Formats: sequence, C-alpha cells, structure tokens
Amino acid sequence: MNAKKIIALIMALAMLTFVFCGCAKKDNAPVSSSDLAEQTPPAEEQTPDEGEPADTSVSVIDMLGREVTLDEPASRIVALTAADCEIIYALGAGDLLVGRGAYCDYPPEVLELPSVESGYDTNIEQIIDLEPQVLFMSTMAQSEEQSKQLEDAGVHVVMNDAQNIEGVYSSIGMIGQLLGKQAEADALIADMKAKFDDLKNKADGEGKTVYFEVSPLQYGLWTAGTDTFMNEIADMLGLVNIFADVTGWGEVSEEQVIDRNPDYIVTISMYFGEGPTPIEEIMSRPGWENVTAVKNGAILNLQNDELSRPSPRLAEGAQMLYDFINEAK
Amino acid sequence: MSMLEVKDLSVSYGDLHILRDVSFSVEPGQWLMIIGPNGAGKTTILNSISRGVPYTGTIVYQGRDIRRWKPRELALNIGLLSQNNSMGYAFTVEEIVRLGRYAHSASVLSGDKDGREEAIDRAIALTGLEGLRNQSSLTLSGGELQRTFLAQLFAQDPRLLMLDEPTNHLDLVYQKQVFNLIREWLTENGRAVVSVVHDLSLARAYGTHALLLSKGRTVAEGPVSEVTAPKLLNEVYSMDVYSWMREMYSQWTDEDSST
Amino acid sequence: MAQIPHKRKEGLYVLEYLAFLAVTPAVFFLCVCVGSVKVPLGDTVRLILDAIRGSDISGIKFASIIVSVRIPRVLSAALVGASLSLCGAGMQGLLKNPLADGSTLGVSSAASLGAVIAIAFGITVPFLPFAGTMIMAILFAFLGLLIILSLAYKLDSSLSTNTIILIGVIFSMFVSSITSLVITFASDKIKHITFWTMGSLQGNNYTHVLILCGALVIFGGVILLHARELNAFAVGEDNARNIGVNVRRVRLTILICVSALIGVCVSIGGTIAFVGLVTPHMTRIIVGPNHKKLLPVSVFAGAIFLMLSDLAARILLNPLELPIGVVTSMIGSVVFIYIFITGRRKGK
Repeated sequence: MNAKKIIALIMALAMLTFVFCGCAKKDNAPVSSSDLAEQTPPAEEQTPDEGEPADTSVSVIDMLGREVTLDEPASRIVALTAADCEIIYALGAGDLLVGRGAYCDYPPEVLELPSVESGYDTNIEQIIDLEPQVLFMSTMAQSEEQSKQLEDAGVHVVMNDAQNIEGVYSSIGMIGQLLGKQAEADALIADMKAKFDDLKNKADGEGKTVYFEVSPLQYGLWTAGTDTFMNEIADMLGLVNIFADVTGWGEVSEEQVIDRNPDYIVTISMYFGEGPTPIEEIMSRPGWENVTAVKNGAILNLQNDELSRPSPRLAEGAQMLYDFINEAK
Repeated sequence: MSMLEVKDLSVSYGDLHILRDVSFSVEPGQWLMIIGPNGAGKTTILNSISRGVPYTGTIVYQGRDIRRWKPRELALNIGLLSQNNSMGYAFTVEEIVRLGRYAHSASVLSGDKDGREEAIDRAIALTGLEGLRNQSSLTLSGGELQRTFLAQLFAQDPRLLMLDEPTNHLDLVYQKQVFNLIREWLTENGRAVVSVVHDLSLARAYGTHALLLSKGRTVAEGPVSEVTAPKLLNEVYSMDVYSWMREMYSQWTDEDSST
Repeated sequence: MAQIPHKRKEGLYVLEYLAFLAVTPAVFFLCVCVGSVKVPLGDTVRLILDAIRGSDISGIKFASIIVSVRIPRVLSAALVGASLSLCGAGMQGLLKNPLADGSTLGVSSAASLGAVIAIAFGITVPFLPFAGTMIMAILFAFLGLLIILSLAYKLDSSLSTNTIILIGVIFSMFVSSITSLVITFASDKIKHITFWTMGSLQGNNYTHVLILCGALVIFGGVILLHARELNAFAVGEDNARNIGVNVRRVRLTILICVSALIGVCVSIGGTIAFVGLVTPHMTRIIVGPNHKKLLPVSVFAGAIFLMLSDLAARILLNPLELPIGVVTSMIGSVVFIYIFITGRRKGK
C-alpha cells in the first residue's frame, strides 16, 4: 500500500536524522570538548627523550599513552582540533597541513585548507582521502575502532588533549617532534613560559574577583570554573574566580553573579555587528547596575578563544587580561 | 417547494464511486427510509447532507443550497445521529447532551436565555437517561451511548432528523420506544425524518417513504409500500426477501404453539 | 450507581476559582522568596512592598536580585507554564488526543527551528529587538502544525491517535535534525543548543513578561472562549459538525492561537517539554474533560507547575542551574505516573 510505503520511508529517514541530530547536538553543546576535565587522563609530563640525529625516525607517546613512531618527520598532516592547528602554524609548519577539522579557525589561512568533520561526527573516509601521515585529534570523541580503521589505512593517529598550561607545553613539544620542528617548539614553549613568568611576577590582582562569562544571559549564563584555562590564568594573575566552586563549565544562576559581585567580568561572546555589543549588553542588564564590574565598566570581551583553547595564544590572552586589569585599576 | 431536495448527488473517493446521481426529495411530515444492501451508499447520503463528505450535485434545504447555510443555522434545522460515536474523554452524559444546545446560544458567555436547561432535561428524560446523567460516557454500554447521542439530537431540536441506524445497539424495548418516540415527534408541523435502517420490517412499519439503493445508484424511490415491493427487494438483495421473513416469523409462531 | 440529582453549573465554582486564585500567588510568593541566593524573608517582603509603593529601593542590598532578576523570572515561568499548558489542553481537545502537545507534535521543535534560522541568518525587525526570532518562531510553529495535520489527514483521515502522534514524533525528529544542521553551519552565532533543546528562563526581564502576558491574554483568551467548541471536538469532529460548530474555522483559529503562543514561549524560554502534556492531563483527571473547567484550571496548574519546576532548577544544584526542561520532564513524569495510578485505582 502507498501509505505503508510512505510510513516506512519516513521511519527510515527519521532514524537517520535521529542519529544525525543526536550527534550534532552533543558536538555543539556549550561545553567545549577540550574543557571536559573528567574525560581525559592526566596530561603526561612526557618530553621526548629520543632524537638521535643519525636516525631520522621520531617517536612520541601521545596523551593516551600510546607510542607513535614515524620513520621520518611527518610532511602530510591533518589536525582536527583548533588548538592543534594553531600550534602547527605557530611552529611554522602550516604548509604541512593537508586538512583541518571543521571548527579550526585560526590563523585565518587555515580556513583555506580542506575541512573534515570532527568531534562526534568525525568522518574517517574524508580523512583517509586526504592521505595524511599523521592525524592529530582530541581524545574526546574517538573510539578505539575509529583510530584502528585509520591506522589500518596507514594514518598515524596522535591523541592530543591538553587540560592545563603544562599540558599545552607537552603538546607543543610532541607536535614539534613529530614534525621535525623541535627547535621551534622549544623556542615557542620558552617564549610562552617567559611571557607567563613575566606576567606572574608583575601581576598583582590583589585578590580581586573575576567572573568569566561563556554564554550570554539570553540563553542561560555559562561560566568557567576550576580546571579551566581561564581559571588557571586568573590564578596566575592573582585574581579570584567567583565560581571557583564550579568544576569545568556550567550554567550558573544570575542571582549568584549579582550576589558574588565580581570586580571584573570577562565575556567570550562573539559580536556580529548588529544590536548591542556583548559589553553593552552586560552593562544594560537589569539588576546588574550595582555589580562592581558593571559600575566601573570593567568588562573585557575576548572574542577569539584566547582563553578557552589550549593553544600558544593563551599567553596573549593572559596578557590581554593583565592589560585590562591594569587599565581598569 | 420541498423541505429537502437532493439532485444528482455523487460522491467518490478517487476512482471509487460511492454514490452516482442520486436524487430524491423530502416533504414535511415524511419519514424517508433509506434502505439497501451493505455498501449501497446509504450512510454517505446522510454524511453529504451534513457536509461531512465532499460531493457533487446539489442539496437544497428550504430553498437554499446547504453549502450556503452557516453551520450553526444548519444545525438548528438538520441534525444527524451518526452510527459510530466512540468516546475518547470521560465526558458525562449530561455534558454530551448539553452540546446539542450549541447552535442555540451564541457564545460561551451567554446564559440560559432559551430554555437550555429544560431542553436538556426533557431530552434526557425522553431517552430514559435520568439515572445516568452524571455518569462518564466511557463506562456506558453501546446502547446507552447511542441513547446519549439521541438525547443530544433531541436537545439540538432540529426540524429534519437524520438517523443512521438509530437503534443499532438497542434492545427491543428501546428499539420500540425510540421508533415510537420519533413517530410522535414527527407529528408536529414542519418536521421530517430521514433514516438509514437495515431492518426492512422496521422500514415498512414506520416509514412513509423509502429510497432503495444498490451500488450507489437509486433503484426505487417513493411511498414505502411501493419501494419495498417483493420484486424490487428480491432483485437488489439477490434473495427471496419475503419468504425469508415469513420463515423467520413462522418459527416464532411454531415455538409459541409448542409451549 | 447512586445518583445525586444536582444541577452542576458548567463553569468553575466560585470556590474553586478562589482556591486556585489563592494557591497561585502563594506559589509565586514562595518562588520569589526562595532562590539560589538566600535573602531574608523580611527583606523580601519589604522590598516587594516598597517596589509596589514605588519608593526608591536602588540602595537596598538585595533589591536588584529580588526585583530585577527573581520576580521577572518567576513571572515568566508562570506565564510560559500557563501558556504551554493551555496550548496542550487546547490541542488535546481539538484533536481528541490526550497525547497531543507542542512537544509531541513537533510544534515546539518547529518554533525552535524558526528562531534558530532567524538568528543564523540575521533576520531582524528594525527597532524591535525580539521580533525577528519571535515572528519566525510563530510562523514555523504554524507551518509545522499545518504540515503535521495535512500529512496525518493524508495518511489517515480519521486522525487516529496513533497516526498523528507517530507523524508528530517523526516530524519532531526531522525538524530537530534541520535545527542541528543550521546550528552546525552557523556555529559561531548559535552555540546555545541546550537552550533550544532544554529551555532556560534565565535573564527574562519585564519586557519579556509583558510580551508573554500580552500573548496569553490575546491568544489564550481566544482559546478560552472556544471552550464549547473544544468540548465538541473532544467528543468527536463529526459530532462537532453535526451540532453546528464551524469545524474549519474553529480548527484554524485554535491552531493559529496555539502556534502563536508556543512561538512566543519558545523564542523567550526555549523548548520546555512536558508542561503542555502533563498539566492538562493531570487537570483533566481532577476536574474532568469539560473544557469550560479544564482550560482555566490548566492555566493555573501550568503556571504553578512551571514556577515550581523553575524553582527546582534554580536551587537544586546551587550555584549551578539545571536546564528547566530536565526538571519539567523529571517532575512531570513522576507526578504523571502517580496521578495516573491513583486515578485508575479510584476507578473513576
């Protein structure tokens, strides 16, 4: 019967869409994949100890503790996470990239590369099609089977998912080694360390309080608590995160923000050129007029993931936060 | 001018023709029995008149095409008791009967200006539902539900009653009662009844006129005695209707004599 | 069956009205007094009284929390709850189907899709900040309803319970997948998927309250005025036609009102499931299926239900907030099963 056929067809479609939408939803949740603290093993203090010049082969242990050995430094790579793309470009190895994850957006050149689905939707076929020697991905979404499929196709899979600044150093070192850019990596790490040390020495947040806003009020306030880069950098600058009692990212209540009365507000909302800017929007919230940060206009808008991504730009983000606090004083 | 005039009524679903060019008319005081075998299109005629199915042809009530009547006005004039009234929610008998007064009062806010309560009480009393007045319709038997909707129809108080198998679920007592009730209702001026029945003896006993259908076409129309003539019935039902009835009846008398 | 031959008035008894009129403000008061930040009861009362009197409260400590944050939020919870519950009751009557609701039929998902498209493609109305998303949400809610109903009529003209729910669920999944698709493509602009799937009443201010209130008065009012027609539909659409209901017009009117209300609620509070399904059902078990009682009581019950759910969302994991949809679904299903079982036991 006709009707039955239609129902069957619709059912089949619905199943497909269900699977699809289930995946897509999770991937887009405001909890950024790199910040889910519980899901990853502690970042290993793994610094590459091999590196004999006669032997061109390189070997690292990735963040799942798996050993990855290449005969020679990789020349065709795909990076799925935005942070890995940034590290690769920072090492001057952007030309080695033959593909990127869909959410990689910095530096702007990266957008010219072929994009592949990442996270829960990771598309193995697309990746194999690009014939990379090495694939950098985060530990979040991939199953054993997926990485096995890739390895069967000759792609070396490197899991990389830094949870704190130390972890970022490790991942820079690891990537540098795999790409034969060890010197650049060491320099980059030293540079970051120097910047952080400098900030740590000059900064005196005087125990003032800061509130990090990840999602604007209209859709429920999300903040970054402990075990996030924002929190780590606030600590470094002598600031106190008002939501230190929250672990990772979470939706918090508006009343609590007002009650905890932060001295500074950092929002990472994007601005799209219409309506009030994120700062103006916060300034205009009813009931927030008595919050110290609002009263003093001490609100910083970081629009480019400077403080939310395990990339070398964390140092820039920290600098921006430092400058902002100094100015606001 | 006839009260109801149906001309060239045709109904079809795709290629399936339910009714083809059926024409008849109803005058005040008439009780038209629509008879015919299963699948003849009897119920579809009633549904067309109540605008429940799309049709071609014309149906004129009181000189005006029924498509040009407002639903509320039409309901004051024509009421339909349909055959399947399955209940989903636990409305009480009284609530269902009360719905019959819908066409009489303009809005949800208007009070009882038109003797609504009396009409409801009378309809409930007429159908013998006093004891079930506040009972949930979900717990009613088929016959009780049938009487509830009949009561709704009486509360609606139209001038033309259309009844689809009105005594379908009823035992003999109520069957007789309902038919007598309707015959009495009909005695008032300007009223008429159109009903679909299967029971040919009921049709003969109560109908003034009849419309005999077969496979969506009119076989005969006219006074009930003419339409239910043996020759026509035997042809339409492909059996000897009269002798079957006589046989059934004779069994009754046989049993009577044996006791 | 023993019969008490009393004549019941069809609408609510005055006493019943008074009871609901008393319970609703009591719950409102409770929800304003309790929250994630502890405010002494005396202060709360004084603040509310001062605010009503119009005296200057800007200097008082908890003023902004109570007056600018909590009261508008509780008010929007009440209004969204009332609206969604009324919509559920209306659709359940119209379709003679106790499982019909904005969430089961995919109307809320369609409204979300409309709102998400408006945001992703920057559809705005000049000078009216919410209008773009709201109008798109209403439009898509209505289109969604039309599509579901015409599909259902095509497949099964009797609109049986199973067909329409099956189509609704399928449609809902289909629309959600498109929503996810749009969000994926416009991921920069819309990261807030939990808002569109679970809802949130955070950040609602008095402007939102006014919009919700206006929508409830206008569209909810129209639904309430159709109580008799909904009774007729709930008995059966054919029966409604027989007794003189203008079936097409009433159906269209109710669908437009339901779409508008759901559209407004979704664009302000996101998709909050279960309210429109559970509250009318619970209400029906208590007061019966007659829409003259069912609709007004559903309004109050929905307001109470969502105010309490939002309270739970605010305080259970303090300082974290629970998505309101999680709370409504949890409370809703437990209460639903409880009432269902006790209702059964009474044998009605």
